[in-house]
Amino acid sequence: MRRAAGWALAVVVVSAPWLVAVAVPRQQRYVLHVLIFTALFAALALSYDLVVGHVGSLSLAHPAFFGIGAYAAAILATRAGWPFLADVLGAVLVAAVVAAVVGVPLFRLTEHAFAVGTLGLALVAWIVANNWVEVTRGPLCVTGIPKPVLGVGSGPALTVTTLPGYYWLALSALAAVVLLYRRLTTFRLGRAFHAVRDNEPLAGAAGINPLKYRLLAFTIAGALAGGVGALYVHYLSVMCPEEMTIGLTVNLLVIVFLGGVGSLRGVLLGAVLFTALPEALRLAPTWRLVIYGLLLLLVVVRSPEGLESLLRRAGARRAAV
Amino acid sequence: MVRFALVLVTLGLTAVSAGAQAPSIRIGFASAMSGPAAITGEGVRWGAALAVEEINAKGGVMGRKLEAFFADNKAQPGEAVSAVRKLVDVDQVDVIIGQTHSGACLGAMPVVKEVGVPMVIEACSHPQIRAMSGKGGNEWTFRVALDDEIMAYTFARYIARQGVKTTSILAMNNDFGRGAATAYDAAFKKVGVKLLSTEFFDPGQPDYRPVLTRLKRASPESITAIILASDGAPFMRQYRELGLTQKIFSRGSLASAEFLYQVRDNPKIGDGVIEAGYWLTGLDPDWDKKWTERYKVPPRIHGSLAAITLKWAVVPALEIALKKSGKADRQTIRAALEEVDVKDSPLGPIKFDANHQAWINMILIEIHDGQLRVLEKLPTSPALLN
Amino acid sequence: MGASKWPPNPQTLGTAPARPSRSSVTGCATQGPRNGCPQTPKRSERPGEAVALLGYATGAELIFDLLEQVLHGLTLGAMYAMVAAGLALMLGVARLINFAHGEFFMLGAYAFWYAYSELGLPYALAALVAPAVMVLFGVVYQRTVIRAILPRSWHVQLIATLATSIVLTNLAIIVLGTQPKEVPTALSSRILDVGGFRVAWQRIVVLVAALVMFWGLQRFVGRTRIGRAMRAMSQNREACAVVGVDVQRVTLVTFGLSAALAAVAAALVSPLFNIFPDMGTALTLKAFAAVVAGGFGYVNGAIAASFLIGITEALAGTYVSYAYKDAIAFVIMIVVLLWRPQGLFGRRIGI
Repeated sequence: MRRAAGWALAVVVVSAPWLVAVAVPRQQRYVLHVLIFTALFAALALSYDLVVGHVGSLSLAHPAFFGIGAYAAAILATRAGWPFLADVLGAVLVAAVVAAVVGVPLFRLTEHAFAVGTLGLALVAWIVANNWVEVTRGPLCVTGIPKPVLGVGSGPALTVTTLPGYYWLALSALAAVVLLYRRLTTFRLGRAFHAVRDNEPLAGAAGINPLKYRLLAFTIAGALAGGVGALYVHYLSVMCPEEMTIGLTVNLLVIVFLGGVGSLRGVLLGAVLFTALPEALRLAPTWRLVIYGLLLLLVVVRSPEGLESLLRRAGARRAAV
Repeated sequence: MVRFALVLVTLGLTAVSAGAQAPSIRIGFASAMSGPAAITGEGVRWGAALAVEEINAKGGVMGRKLEAFFADNKAQPGEAVSAVRKLVDVDQVDVIIGQTHSGACLGAMPVVKEVGVPMVIEACSHPQIRAMSGKGGNEWTFRVALDDEIMAYTFARYIARQGVKTTSILAMNNDFGRGAATAYDAAFKKVGVKLLSTEFFDPGQPDYRPVLTRLKRASPESITAIILASDGAPFMRQYRELGLTQKIFSRGSLASAEFLYQVRDNPKIGDGVIEAGYWLTGLDPDWDKKWTERYKVPPRIHGSLAAITLKWAVVPALEIALKKSGKADRQTIRAALEEVDVKDSPLGPIKFDANHQAWINMILIEIHDGQLRVLEKLPTSPALLN
Repeated sequence: MGASKWPPNPQTLGTAPARPSRSSVTGCATQGPRNGCPQTPKRSERPGEAVALLGYATGAELIFDLLEQVLHGLTLGAMYAMVAAGLALMLGVARLINFAHGEFFMLGAYAFWYAYSELGLPYALAALVAPAVMVLFGVVYQRTVIRAILPRSWHVQLIATLATSIVLTNLAIIVLGTQPKEVPTALSSRILDVGGFRVAWQRIVVLVAALVMFWGLQRFVGRTRIGRAMRAMSQNREACAVVGVDVQRVTLVTFGLSAALAAVAAALVSPLFNIFPDMGTALTLKAFAAVVAGGFGYVNGAIAASFLIGITEALAGTYVSYAYKDAIAFVIMIVVLLWRPQGLFGRRIGI
């Protein structure tokens, strides 16, 4: 029964562009745009959840890796003329290297210092993006990032120019991230991560090196964030420093905690709610931020496991009845 | 039975009369309504609301009322895309006025082209916008505001004519400031004014002392400040605190009613500042009065620009479109914008060239005795770029 | 304060400030790099080279400017210190991470503005109204948000207070508007001019008031019952509860004190800068940097780190790069964390 529901969901998700065209023909481009953002955000949130939910390190540095990947892709594509797949790969690698390099000293700190240290990293990254004008053009932004071209070398290539095309590209990326997330958070590796999160001294005693596993999760998360950044800039064709401010961390925190930290279903749910809900609410922008804040506050205080746990409990109750 | 019939007839008549009323023309306004730049979006919202009210009070445009819709671009390109799509798909607007901030403009431009909705830019200052619009590739974007590539040479020449030999630039660290700094760097070279140093500051940060000390050490004769009123007030206070005496030439909104309001405890603190711009209060005294009465603060630059763009660029286009084809939709408005030829808007002539740029007047404003006065009004043209 | 002079008198334009009086220069020369005297440049063996490198004509000019910058840095540091001290207090005594601390500063500034500009109260009174209002606000905040998150993990605390910060900032935008408020006072407009060395009187007030407050804080913590209870709680919370210390009350008092410190800082500093809804955010981050660098929860450490940050910001902003100066606080923090992960003063227990 549940498998059938899962398959049905997958079919719906993949055929969304057609469903949207039929359901809301006049607004289909807007809805598709929201769906593209949702998919990208979901992938970003899942990568964030690896660090926050599965190894239990409250990192506030995610915007830095997103931005590093985004700028790497943007610069490689516009200045060095790299093809799409290459510059995305480049972005992922650059973000991974930076994550690994800063992760080593960061993880030697206590928890609180780690959080503030990652915050400092995010800020410094933004300041550099905004001021290192020779490379990033600062506030003048990197423009003219070309559309994604799926192809290798001089063989046949598919250029993504339509909204449904971008949607399927983003969806593929999300699918890849979901698969990776599941692989990382189950079986032995997942148990190792959770051991480090739940009882670090015991994990250490059992031969699981906390530093190694935290660093692993951090590096992979950073790499994925960089990849999402690369896809993002190819969608917008523009990259400005404003896209990597701390506001992004707040958005990610809302998604992860609202949906359910440490749970795949929860984070996906959070991403959908977070991106779709404000569009449906149509409130004045400043009030919207007030509501986010209140929502985050309520959720984290009352139900830090997020909506996912509420759903699970409701599901369990129904099963028990 | 009779009552039922009467009800039917009444309903039918209402339906007919509702249909007979011409649909309103929908105008979308996009700006930074939240985030650190929210003050600009607030201005745009206020200006748009006031202008639309004004027009509708006079019966609308050839009998068609205007309806304003707003979207938030948070001054970011990603959000600008969302804002444009919302205005186009959800609000079904016929024309967009916005995006105020260059990052947002750059993000929005490909989307308005893809969708096919005309966008008239009221304030973005990135020079690339001009190169990319009209025959540059994007037939759907138009710009009323001037960028500093256009104004720099004229202003630099004026500064040189005052006998000033050296200057230092102090600019906001955003698209506006960086773009202007680059433009003035090149312009000063051309007119023979030596640029001693260029410094950037983050808008909203209140501590100018270190940079003022750096400027004191560089010892320029003048400072070219690229700064808005909200930062200008603390800047001028600290400038006077340090006892600096350089002549200040500015770009932004330093010489503005907003600045004088911020320093109303000591309005002469800005005396001597000469600013190059294209808008100030007093160009349209009626508008200033209406604004101050309604909002209780001096008119804001971005709100007033949005209103002027609506009244003197978009409305004439609507009139042209309606006269020609009886329709005011996205295609006809776009075509009509290319024919707009307004001689006497508060900003000067509004006529879009091949790159969809309007060559409005440049004005030199001075703060004198705690008040603003116009020193010179200079027409601009593409010849200035050479 | 004079309108600018135009056309400029070539002799007066851009000249170096008048030579400082002999006493101040020799005073520092004999005392060396202590007591606030600037360090002599270590960059090269020959002082002449360094002096010219930094753009000065003489060594005296260099020292004069350095002194000015250090004083400015001390004022900045005083502001950071008052905010960071409150943050460290809460961390040390109540084990609470409060990301909304900057909003205490912001709301305190608005309270001060309202009292001074709108109600027309004299400066000293308005400067007391601000902390009074914020103490009340602090109590309400404690009763509502803090009580719910105090027993929870610090993850929850961080996120909850971050959320509160967003709510408060945006409510401020909605209620108070985006137009910045200016609150110039008599002391912020009067300039003290000592031989070319110019500083607004208000900056001196900030410095003096901060020192008085820190001295007061030390005496409060050392001499009063509640103060000693605070210190005890920061050392061993469980033991305190066992011994019969009213943990709730002490926490409440700490909270009020912390809010009051931030509000006083705001009332002191607002006349020099301006007031806008976003002003708390940057301050929270720098205060955290100071708290972390000083050793989590160690109040004197946070104060010392704040002054270090203030002075370095002023000096680096003037001599290295103005654009990057806001990164200074974090660079310092990162350097300290790499070199001494437990903070500058080590794992000190107690406030």
